Amino acid sequence: MHSLIQLSIVVLLLPLLSFVTLIFFNRRLPRRGDFIGVGILGTAFALSAYIFWTVIVQSYDPAFRVAWDFTWIDLGNVPGVGPLQVKMGIVIDNLTAIMLAMVTLISLLVHLYSTGYMAGDKNYGRYFAYLGIFTFSMLGIVLSDNLFSIYIFWELVGLSSYLLIGFFFEKDSAADAQKKAFLANRVGDIGMWLGILILYSQFHTFSFSEVYANLAAGKFALSNAWLTAAGILLFMGCVGKSAQFPLHIWLPDAMEGPTPVSALIHAATMVAAGVYFVARIFVMLTPDALHVIAFIGAFTAFMAATIAITQNDIKRVLAYSTVSQLGYMVLGLGVGAYSAALFHLVTHAFFKACLFLGSGAIIHAMHHEQDMRWMGGLRKHMPWTFATFTLATLALAGLPLTSGFLSKDAILAGAIGFANVEGGGIYYLIPVLGFFSAMLTAFYMGRQIWLVFFGESRTHLKPADPHHGDHHAHDSHAAHGDDHHAEHGVHEVSWNMRAPLVILAALSVFFVYSPDPLDGAKGWFMKMIPTPATVVGAANPQIGSLPAGSVLPQLAAVGALPETHTAEGAVAPAEHGAAPAAAEHGAAAASHGEAKGGHAYSDPRQAEIVHAGHAAHYTAIYISSVMVVLGIGLAFVVYVFGIIDPAKTAVAIRPLYLFSLNKWYWDEIYQATFIKGSVVLSKLLSWFDTNVVDGIVNGVATLVRKFAFANAGFDKYVVDGLVNFTAFSVNTTGAVLRKLQTGKVQTYVVMLLVAVFGYFIYYFTRLIY
Amino acid sequence: MEQLATIGLNHYLTISAILLCLGLFAVMTRKNAIVILMGVELILNAANINFLAFSKYNGSMQGVMFSLFVIVLAAAEAAIALAIVINIFKIFKSVDVSSIDSLKE
Repeated sequence: MHSLIQLSIVVLLLPLLSFVTLIFFNRRLPRRGDFIGVGILGTAFALSAYIFWTVIVQSYDPAFRVAWDFTWIDLGNVPGVGPLQVKMGIVIDNLTAIMLAMVTLISLLVHLYSTGYMAGDKNYGRYFAYLGIFTFSMLGIVLSDNLFSIYIFWELVGLSSYLLIGFFFEKDSAADAQKKAFLANRVGDIGMWLGILILYSQFHTFSFSEVYANLAAGKFALSNAWLTAAGILLFMGCVGKSAQFPLHIWLPDAMEGPTPVSALIHAATMVAAGVYFVARIFVMLTPDALHVIAFIGAFTAFMAATIAITQNDIKRVLAYSTVSQLGYMVLGLGVGAYSAALFHLVTHAFFKACLFLGSGAIIHAMHHEQDMRWMGGLRKHMPWTFATFTLATLALAGLPLTSGFLSKDAILAGAIGFANVEGGGIYYLIPVLGFFSAMLTAFYMGRQIWLVFFGESRTHLKPADPHHGDHHAHDSHAAHGDDHHAEHGVHEVSWNMRAPLVILAALSVFFVYSPDPLDGAKGWFMKMIPTPATVVGAANPQIGSLPAGSVLPQLAAVGALPETHTAEGAVAPAEHGAAPAAAEHGAAAASHGEAKGGHAYSDPRQAEIVHAGHAAHYTAIYISSVMVVLGIGLAFVVYVFGIIDPAKTAVAIRPLYLFSLNKWYWDEIYQATFIKGSVVLSKLLSWFDTNVVDGIVNGVATLVRKFAFANAGFDKYVVDGLVNFTAFSVNTTGAVLRKLQTGKVQTYVVMLLVAVFGYFIYYFTRLIY
Repeated sequence: MEQLATIGLNHYLTISAILLCLGLFAVMTRKNAIVILMGVELILNAANINFLAFSKYNGSMQGVMFSLFVIVLAAAEAAIALAIVINIFKIFKSVDVSSIDSLKE
């Protein structure tokens, strides 16, 4: 086993250790054991950083890959199917190393931050335990080398998300939100599982490399439509987990969880897992599936951005912004801008985590006021938060010199290139939506910065809240419980909440990723994550037409090598040993080289898109810069200079305003269609149950009862009758015979005489005739 | 009248039949156990007469020997039966056979 694999297993299990320790013993430990969570994550991060250093910095090889697996379940030779095994394993390549470092770093920072933010909560220890199991599951997704274990960790992530969203479960809204999140995720996961089953039914393996080897060898016996379906079904998992349209509805509600959780799970890592998963299956997605993915991503990015501009809750703005940015990533994968999408995943994770933690600091300082309308003027009180929040905002908006600029422009350039390659028309909708969303992003973030940090405090404008008591009920920050006059108590947060902000803000600057502030492709990230060539589709048009066993001659040829050599009498011992191994791993290794960049441009369609993306790079920079400036400028015009009054504008375009404020009415639409539909359906089924199914059961019961009565009658009158008749006849005979036994000797003598006379009469009668 | 001059076998048999009928009559109609015993003796003696009559007209001694055994048997029988009657009297305070029917139940 490679030492990196051993290290990664330790990294994987450390957060689990934290979870087990804290969930059982947090009440017996000093400080509820928070130092255990922070310490363990610190260790995990140190190990991950070492892995990152070894993989990315030392080897600096785009095709770096170490893998290890073992047979987990061996079902032996299943009749009619062949040998079935379920393997578990770990793969470490550049993407894994980067994700590993990112997840552990953000998790560590969130742990640290939570020691300040959650201080005094009555379930403080349990909170850290949940963070532990979440980190464990997320690392599991990142390290998995097969669909099956990814699915397991996928569900574990869903569970920990459920637990953390509903952390303040005394609040109804939090309990509802956790249910909503879990159910929406389930919808996606069902699709994902079906997709996994399609692949498994074909290849009897869950392993990524084996599935791709089989696909590349043309062993997929079904039609291309099935492969597209498999791709889209697997993508459904991402739709659920990464909050893409139409399952995006859960993410904004998930903001009911504690703010650091929003930063860790609902901004940086878990929601990125969907994008990571699509990246893992990228090579098996057909062009049709990729088109669907691109359009869903573009639409999500645009829709969420339009919603974000009117939200008043500071966390909801960020939540919709997250949905929008995830849309960008999905769009990026859909258009084939693979490296750019993953680049955006990482940069977004850092600046969005920074934004969420910053908003957490604001909420903390404002004593749990989340409505931006009642904030303002915090710049003077919270200089650290202000500086880091602003830097992260600029990165999110995509201003040059920030990390967000590099990644977002790479995606948009890819989108333009994609539209050019696909031949325009409707495909230009994708870059157009992308650019428009970029402008909206700049606008709503400008609005947020202005409302929160500039101007004067508007705390006193807040209407008296009759439910003030409820508002605080969920939080046990008893120290702040009573004073809601925020302006008296606004203060900068303590160092353990400030340090994560500073680190995350520092990671939002361009030079971390690329020496050129305008071109991410020159940076290490995009060099280390090259776009893999597809194993299906355009590169392999004969797929589906090949007979299932067509790869066999090839393997047989490899296997036959030693024999040939022996015959020639010129076999080298080393070759002799290597050949069977090659026969065993030949297919996997060959396709693996193909998939992981060895022939990065063996796929003409992908090569063309990448090429066109490079060509469109400066176009994208120009357009997006203009868009960002437009967006921020508009925000300034509206909120800083006051040239356009937002209130009057809202009235003027009231239908649009309400459409956005009410989140495109998706919740209402789902309420009216799916939920009402389910209720109606369930009522219908209940009616069917009570009337038809129960009717059948009751009918059968009645029939059986009738039959039983008939049977009972037969028993009573016929069987019992026979028995009674026997008894009766015996009784009667007995009664008659009893009369004969008088007990008087003389009667017997008479009977004797009668019998003798009878005999004589009989005898003589016989004698005479 | 000539028939009266010699006593033949039929006369013996007739006497015997009359004796038998008398014995049977006594056995069937009398209530007193001792009288019934006496009826039984009559029946036995009717049989004895038959034995002797047939013995005489057959010219063999078998009937005589048999009747001797019957007489001995009758004596034994009378002794046992009387003993039984005495016991019955001890238990039931009566020798009326119609009232001694407890075996019926």
